[in-house]
Amino acid sequence: MDVLRLEVGPALQFRPPSTSLRRVTILGPDGKSLYVYYRPNQRRIREATDGEFCLTKAETGLSFPPNKPHVGSAIAVKQEALDAATVQIKPWWLYRDYRSAAPVLRYGEAWKTPDVGYQPIDELLLEADEHTPTVAVRVCKEEAQGAESGTVYATGRKPSKGPPPFDRLRPLPLDDVYAKANAGKPIACRAGAAVSLSVDCGCGVGLERCYPGEGFKRDGKAFVMPSKTPLGVDLPFDQAEQSPSDWMKLWWTQEAVRFLGKVFRENRDFREVLTARWSTVNGPLAQFYRSNAAANSGKTKAFGLVDDGEPLFDPGAVPVGLLPHDVGTWETVADRGPHAAGILTMPAFLTKYASRRARGAALYASFLCKGFVAGDVMLMPSTEPNLMKRPGCATCHATLEPLAAYFSRVVETDWRWLPEGPMPTLDPRCKLDASGKAPGFCRDYYDPAFSSKTEGMLRGAYASPAHAAGGPVLAGAELAASPELGTCVVERVAAGFLGRALDPDDATLVTSLRAAFVDGGYKIKPLVRSLLRSPQYRSANNLASKGTP
Amino acid sequence: MSRRAFAVVSGVALLAACYHPRDTIPAVPVAALPGHAALTVDTSPKSDLRMVPTEAYVRTYLALFGGLAPLELQKRARGADGAQLFDTWGDYLATLGLPDYKTDLPRARETNALMLATFERLGAALCDRAVEHDLRGSKPRVVFDFDAPKELDVTAFTPRFDVLHRTFLGYPEKLAPGRAARFFDLYAKTLTRHAGDAGKTGKDKPKLAPNEAAWAVVCEGLVRHPEFHLY
Repeated sequence: MDVLRLEVGPALQFRPPSTSLRRVTILGPDGKSLYVYYRPNQRRIREATDGEFCLTKAETGLSFPPNKPHVGSAIAVKQEALDAATVQIKPWWLYRDYRSAAPVLRYGEAWKTPDVGYQPIDELLLEADEHTPTVAVRVCKEEAQGAESGTVYATGRKPSKGPPPFDRLRPLPLDDVYAKANAGKPIACRAGAAVSLSVDCGCGVGLERCYPGEGFKRDGKAFVMPSKTPLGVDLPFDQAEQSPSDWMKLWWTQEAVRFLGKVFRENRDFREVLTARWSTVNGPLAQFYRSNAAANSGKTKAFGLVDDGEPLFDPGAVPVGLLPHDVGTWETVADRGPHAAGILTMPAFLTKYASRRARGAALYASFLCKGFVAGDVMLMPSTEPNLMKRPGCATCHATLEPLAAYFSRVVETDWRWLPEGPMPTLDPRCKLDASGKAPGFCRDYYDPAFSSKTEGMLRGAYASPAHAAGGPVLAGAELAASPELGTCVVERVAAGFLGRALDPDDATLVTSLRAAFVDGGYKIKPLVRSLLRSPQYRSANNLASKGTP
Repeated sequence: MSRRAFAVVSGVALLAACYHPRDTIPAVPVAALPGHAALTVDTSPKSDLRMVPTEAYVRTYLALFGGLAPLELQKRARGADGAQLFDTWGDYLATLGLPDYKTDLPRARETNALMLATFERLGAALCDRAVEHDLRGSKPRVVFDFDAPKELDVTAFTPRFDVLHRTFLGYPEKLAPGRAARFFDLYAKTLTRHAGDAGKTGKDKPKLAPNEAAWAVVCEGLVRHPEFHLY
């Protein structure tokens, strides 16, 4: 972990609109404060609330601007309006048996022995009066729907001038290109775009596809969880109330930690770190891979790709019995799917090293023990887009660009695979026009600098279309076959055990350890055994006690 | 010789005196140099001492505190004194040299004064809290697994010291000749220094009785001992 540092920092937030429930406070029919959960951008049949909160300003006296406190003076909502727009749900974060028809096992009551690592914050357990236990949450009806698939919704609505109608904050949502072309066709509700493309896709049974938050912001706090874990997540040095984003980032890291632990503990072939299709998941990860991994898929809908097509982790492989609360239960998934490759396709790696080049450089440094050092070349002004050729850049990028190409089909700052079918390496839809520009929807994924008048080039693929096609699976296989991998692993392990950096005087030691490691099938035990028997290790700490008081 | 000729000759002589031909030493095999015939090239590693990972130290302290979890240790170390003896782990993790992967703060590869000071603070908290816990009758005793009479001579001190010695340094005190006597001297001097505290009351009353303070100092001496950090 010291090498890869697979903990994602605060710069990255996992809070897709499709999975983030906001909680607003209105006045109920009895004049008392009442929480209601909803998703901004949720499509609704009712025109006045389409794409916004499910009760109008006329009904609540309030407007709810995104990520800001409500505005207006609250009035008590009428019971009929409340019942027409909302429903009460027993959600997953409160009920162990949320999948049953009538959940009864509420957190802290009938559900008496929850996992010690699962702890919703008090604000999610109490009603707006701050002392009445929450036994069910009120949520907008569309969000409460449990179906796995819905249909693409199109209104045929035309843009209108003037202020938004119905005292709305925003104009009525219009049909985008995808909605117009696919109206009435099925859409998977786990797809991130479903929230803005369908009126019959909600958060699933027990709101399982959504995360709660304690306020109007998208990253409201939800769970008490470890925040400093140098001795592991089971021995936290601090605990704090954090958001679902932090919650998931913790478990992404733990997936990598558990995976590496299993490789070493079971004395498996180290090359599995780069090539394995198996992994281990707990409840929150099962929930993520099952329901939420495709939550960022909105931008690719212009290519006809609204879900994760060929996911790096097949949702069908997720253990069905793992519930979101099972934080301490880890199960092995034998096969994540054909695109899985050890840690290279885990969210922890793909978000820690968010860009193609960062991912390539991380592999180069971590598994081949090499670094990029600029050559002694003057950087001259250049219009050459190919960094493998541009003077001053080529010394590093001639190596880095082909490495980065392995990740051309893995979305940056994300963990989705871009399938060849809807997004070919060379796509005529993204060709340059007469002025040398590509269509707007292409720019995130196709690189105009390497596109032509006949086709666009997938970003990053220019350096090696073969690497782009092979993806992380090919990267892992080629790294695993590299003779430098064994030497690099030996150097890292030896430096760790000796507590110092290796130097040229250690060449003989490295050679003998490498032989033990490689001949032992790239397993860690023969390497450690050989290292512990070496005179270098035995004399690494040979202070005598003489002279000490 | 004319005056002019003398000047020319003198100038040439002066130039000649200032000019030294470049020193050249003909290359010879190393073995031909005096005293080098029997020498071989030393290719053995010139390594530094191994630095034990901070995690190992921290786990040691957790064990010494009675197998507590980190957050429980923090609660115990703080006791009723707030942050006087121990703040929070969050204040110490970086100074202990632990990495922070979220912010890409690397692991400290060498010890430093702050790291040692932090360990000392942790050790002092451990010893003071252990005195309060163990020597006032709470069971099970964690560090001071013996009774502590108010008056001790070196003979009575030694077996008790041996308990601490084995706990902190991992071997019997008799294998470190003279150490028990030196620590008894420390114990006795501390006892003398605190003898005047016995009658104090109210806010002037120290938190530890004289013999408790003396045992705490012995404990701190061991937890700061170089061998403890190498053990």
